[in-house]
Amino acid sequence: MELHGIFEYFGSLIDKIGLPGFWEFLVDNTLIAAVLLGVLSVMALFLVWWERKVSAHMQDRLGPMRTGWHGVLQTLADGMKLLQKEDITPTGVDRGVFFWAPVIVFATTFLAYVPIPWGEKLIPADLNIGILYILAITTFTVIALLMAGWGSNNKWALLGGMRSAAQIISYEVPLTLSIMGVLIFAESLSMQSIVKSQAGFFDWYVFRQPLGFLIFLVASTAEVNRTPFDLPEAEQELVAGFNVEYSGMKFAMFFLAEFLNMFTASAIAVTLFFGGWNGPLLPSWVWFLGKTLVIVFILMWFRWTYPRLRVDHLMEFAWKWLLPLAFLNLILTGIGVYLWDALVGK
Amino acid sequence: MGVVKDFISGIYNLLLGLKVTGLRLPEKSVTLQYPDEKWEMPERSRGIVVLLSDKETGELNCTACMLCMRACPTAAIQIERDKNEKGKWYAKAFTVDNTICCFCGLCEDACNFDAIKLATYYENSVYNQSELVWDKDKLQEMGRDVPYTPKRPKKKAAAKPAPKPAPKPAEGSDAGAPDKPKPAEDAKPQQAASDKPSEKAEANTDKKEPDNKPAEPKAEDKPSDAGSDKDDTGSDDTGQDKKNEK
Repeated sequence: MELHGIFEYFGSLIDKIGLPGFWEFLVDNTLIAAVLLGVLSVMALFLVWWERKVSAHMQDRLGPMRTGWHGVLQTLADGMKLLQKEDITPTGVDRGVFFWAPVIVFATTFLAYVPIPWGEKLIPADLNIGILYILAITTFTVIALLMAGWGSNNKWALLGGMRSAAQIISYEVPLTLSIMGVLIFAESLSMQSIVKSQAGFFDWYVFRQPLGFLIFLVASTAEVNRTPFDLPEAEQELVAGFNVEYSGMKFAMFFLAEFLNMFTASAIAVTLFFGGWNGPLLPSWVWFLGKTLVIVFILMWFRWTYPRLRVDHLMEFAWKWLLPLAFLNLILTGIGVYLWDALVGK
Repeated sequence: MGVVKDFISGIYNLLLGLKVTGLRLPEKSVTLQYPDEKWEMPERSRGIVVLLSDKETGELNCTACMLCMRACPTAAIQIERDKNEKGKWYAKAFTVDNTICCFCGLCEDACNFDAIKLATYYENSVYNQSELVWDKDKLQEMGRDVPYTPKRPKKKAAAKPAPKPAPKPAEGSDAGAPDKPKPAEDAKPQQAASDKPSEKAEANTDKKEPDNKPAEPKAEDKPSDAGSDKDDTGSDDTGQDKKNEK
């Protein structure tokens, strides 16, 4: 990619100035982070607009139409408005916790993109513990949401934060177990090797792990707090949930993080089950983006179709259905792979 | 295995839900981009009140009979009337205050002469409330091109007086009757031809049909008399007046 040229240019520049090699590393990674931040911000704006369009057309409405072509600049305008808004810190909030919660939410969302392969050579860092890193870092979100709920000193926010914690912790378990099946086949935690191991169309793990994929899809929908699992921000009950006291750009950070989380979940699903950037003819990043947006669309489709679950049903579903199914899937996959190796050979 | 059956029917129903919303997605939206696109309002919609004019002569149909003013529940209509040189009533001033008009349509029902109607116009936002108080000229202007179905066939055509003000006989049918045979035959020739026998009576009110008309014209009149039921509700007093006078 052209990015390499930029890195080499900066590398030679730093050599000329005579700075130590550490600076080259720093400059390179700052550049990567900046590019990623730019791409993700645009992606979040696009996703918000797209969600509004999808929801509108599913209800025979038009959605935003006025700002730009079919309202494509609507979210940009909304963002500008939020930037101009007063940043209110209500009295009685726990200031430190209140301030850092949106920062952590956005940062963890952003950090989850480190090992996600956007293309054949387009990956910020190919960690050898890739998927484990993602699972670990996305769990931080729950802490931030709990911080937001607790720090706001508001009953709705606290309820939203508590629900979010309970929900994410519960669904984290079947989510992780559903990924294990893929890892048994891929024999690696690195995202790039997982993608490379499903080169052909029929190597996609969704064909070997259909149950695993379904569990992953449901559990990740719950993980990113989307309908039908959007209890942490159930508007009808909790006003707005954990972000009820936030305004201006802090609110925007929660909002954008929510949509980026959806994109993250879809990107992981594509990487694990749909062959990542593998695909003929078109450049690899196009395939990755296209597949991811299809999954994002399915998540939006869910949102505008299904009603919200009740709290006890939510927990029952996670522990009594998804968890046993995930275990079943894992055991069957293990036995299957063992038998295949023993009978057919590697 | 009830559990398995439930599981499968649950999945089926979830997919069914997705199908419903999915099929909606490519459908055309019903939303109209309001200021750019507008609904075509039906002729009988209840928009703002206008005064109708005779299509040929351009004169108001109004006879200043005051029925609409009396029917108006919010007193939005104010009429001042006067007699013209021929001794016929006409509306000297006709004011509709759209800030208190409730668009109930009772004035339209009360009118016997196709003179007042709720038009399709409905955009009443103004910067100054006084702009919503419409005088006679404004009401006539707004009603100029409003299409309407006459409540009765216009046989008075033959009988109508030419002079400017309200060409039709109002309560002052004493003045109206003698005037009738005068001009304006050219105005509505098609109806005049078929309705000759009943012209005078019809001009006053169709209430009289049952008593003193021959059978043929009755048969002719009825089908065209779409608004006659409306007349009955609103026009009792005038109808009675005229009868008595006759």
